[in-house]
Amino acid sequence: MRLRRAWLGALAAALLVLTAGCAEQHAGGGAPENPNELSSGDLVERMREYDGMSVSFTGEAIGEAMLRGDHAWIHLNDDAYYEKNIEEGAPLGGQNSGMPVWVSADLARKITTFGDYKHEGDVVRVTGVFHAACPEHGGDTDIHAESLDVVQRGHTVVDEPKRAKLAWAIALSLVAGALFVADRAIAGGLRA
Amino acid sequence: MMLKPRLEDHLVIGKYTGKVIIGVGLLMVIPLLTSIAFAEWDTAIDFVIGMAACFIFGFGTQIACRTDKDLEWSHGLVVASGSWVVATALGALPHFLSGHEGSYLDAMFDVMSGYTTTGLYLLQDLDHVSHGLNMWRHVLTYAGGQGIVVIALAFLFRGTAGAYKVYVGEGKDERLLPNVINTARAIWLVSLVWLAFGWIALSVTGLALGQSPVRAILHGLWVFMGAWSTGGFAPQSYNTMYYHSVVFEVLSVIVFIAGSFNFALHWAVWTGKRAEIRKNIETVSFAITLTTLVLLATFVLARNGVYSDAVILARKSFYQLASGHTTTGFSTIFSRAFVTQWGPVGMLATTIAMAIGASACSTAGGIKGIRVGIIAKAFFHDVRKMLSPESAVVRTKYHHVRDIALEDPIVRTAMTITLAYVVMYLIVTVVGVLHGYPVVEAAFEGVSAASNTGLSCGVTLPSMPAAMKVAYMVAMWLGRLEFMSVFALIGYGVSIVRGK
Repeated sequence: MRLRRAWLGALAAALLVLTAGCAEQHAGGGAPENPNELSSGDLVERMREYDGMSVSFTGEAIGEAMLRGDHAWIHLNDDAYYEKNIEEGAPLGGQNSGMPVWVSADLARKITTFGDYKHEGDVVRVTGVFHAACPEHGGDTDIHAESLDVVQRGHTVVDEPKRAKLAWAIALSLVAGALFVADRAIAGGLRA
Repeated sequence: MMLKPRLEDHLVIGKYTGKVIIGVGLLMVIPLLTSIAFAEWDTAIDFVIGMAACFIFGFGTQIACRTDKDLEWSHGLVVASGSWVVATALGALPHFLSGHEGSYLDAMFDVMSGYTTTGLYLLQDLDHVSHGLNMWRHVLTYAGGQGIVVIALAFLFRGTAGAYKVYVGEGKDERLLPNVINTARAIWLVSLVWLAFGWIALSVTGLALGQSPVRAILHGLWVFMGAWSTGGFAPQSYNTMYYHSVVFEVLSVIVFIAGSFNFALHWAVWTGKRAEIRKNIETVSFAITLTTLVLLATFVLARNGVYSDAVILARKSFYQLASGHTTTGFSTIFSRAFVTQWGPVGMLATTIAMAIGASACSTAGGIKGIRVGIIAKAFFHDVRKMLSPESAVVRTKYHHVRDIALEDPIVRTAMTITLAYVVMYLIVTVVGVLHGYPVVEAAFEGVSAASNTGLSCGVTLPSMPAAMKVAYMVAMWLGRLEFMSVFALIGYGVSIVRGK
């Protein structure tokens, strides 16, 4: 009975910690200014208005260049993480936003680093025609770029293991291991 | 009179909830190994913490709740719905520790969305998350599609007679084989065979589309998991638009439509009864409603001149509608394009598709084709009865694995659950409207959450009011478990306080 009460107490304490964690996290610092006069959000919000217009668009190249013959698909994000991502200490600034860009393979090769967990990608400026529903690409929203310039080179990001987390991991693993052994021992005792 | 649960009731519920949570902890081995393989050490620590928390809860509960009593019906329902809540709270640890979530509530939202195969998410900067966390997002949704209780049944429960009661509590009631544990294993067999073929096909396509081998293999696996579970999670923020490929779209459609079929149908085909595909009431109902809604959306989009030619129009219309109807949530258009391109009628067609959903006892959500089919049959049955002479005996049958006579209790059950879904859809829509969203957008997003679809028109954002996040989480949970086991959990809570 005492064991059950202790267990219920531990669960209640965990629930309290969990509830406290539900409060919104306010990270320090502000998100960088959007690099575009017309952001990806503006383009999507007023697609009809900008359809067929020549636009200049700047963003971080993410993922990879997917080569298709003499052209390639790249994706440029102009969100809060285009200069620095969360692993480098950027504050939370909402979800990703950007624009798919269809560009010649030669221009795409200028990009050397694409953004992912371990990299902040090159920041690239393209100029080209915006399509709300591109007739050449199955109705996808895209920009057909005629020029591409690398504005800022990307870099490697190192997400060092946090010491406090490591300590928690070791402590909790030991407790879990002890409970496993106790559970097996009690089960074995009951069977015997 | 409401009976207060006895100590033995608490013990049996605690014991089996603990077993399910140990299963969740074991699932974290997959993202942990992924993190280690890609030298993502900080992420690996997050998963060690998550696993340890699950094991502490699981083994601790097993020690504290040791009993030989087997499950009764009410226990099974409470274990099923309660396990989902605990699994969400503990499964959210790696999300929260990654630093990509605005709060623990956001992390739990994403995990509940994953387990329930919804696909809406609040995670920030998805395009920079680790492979380990991306793996966890997709394992969550793949496991949730089969049912986390099904996993525990298949691998952790040994010969308990009460196992069927937990299985039913998770919204599945088909017995493919006489033994429920073998049924759970059969569900996993079907899913793993599809996984092998789907993963290879999508990975090879990814390679051909210009992805590096490692990324093609990972994306192939994750997109398969998102499609088969009708979850709709994808590794990039652009969702399936990222691939810009008709072949990739066709493959994903095949997988998510297959995933939306009843496991009983899969099992029938598996055991040689291929005619079941065209005879089953669920596939017939799905084909009729999908065709009607695609035609409606196509007509509206054509009239508005959104797409320049018929092939493109059909491709975009079919993909979004099929994704919505199967409650997958993959999309090849921007979220806001539903509002800025498709307009109210296009959104309404998609909302109806999501509301209906796909098959029962599948990975899909929504009202389900079988109920729509039964209600339609009952309607035509009544019309025939009215037109027939008074002395005539009018009989109606429907086909679901075998021919079944349409009787009043079957129709009543179908109507009751349908009504429950409709009321839930109305409530989440009203919650959205009360928070200032236009009614069409509130209905689209609310139905998407409650039917476990995950298509978004831009309402679900980290900045969304906390009350809406909670409302959507509850709707996802209720929708996935089909009400009864959640009501049993609430009843259990009330009986603890007010029972005698």
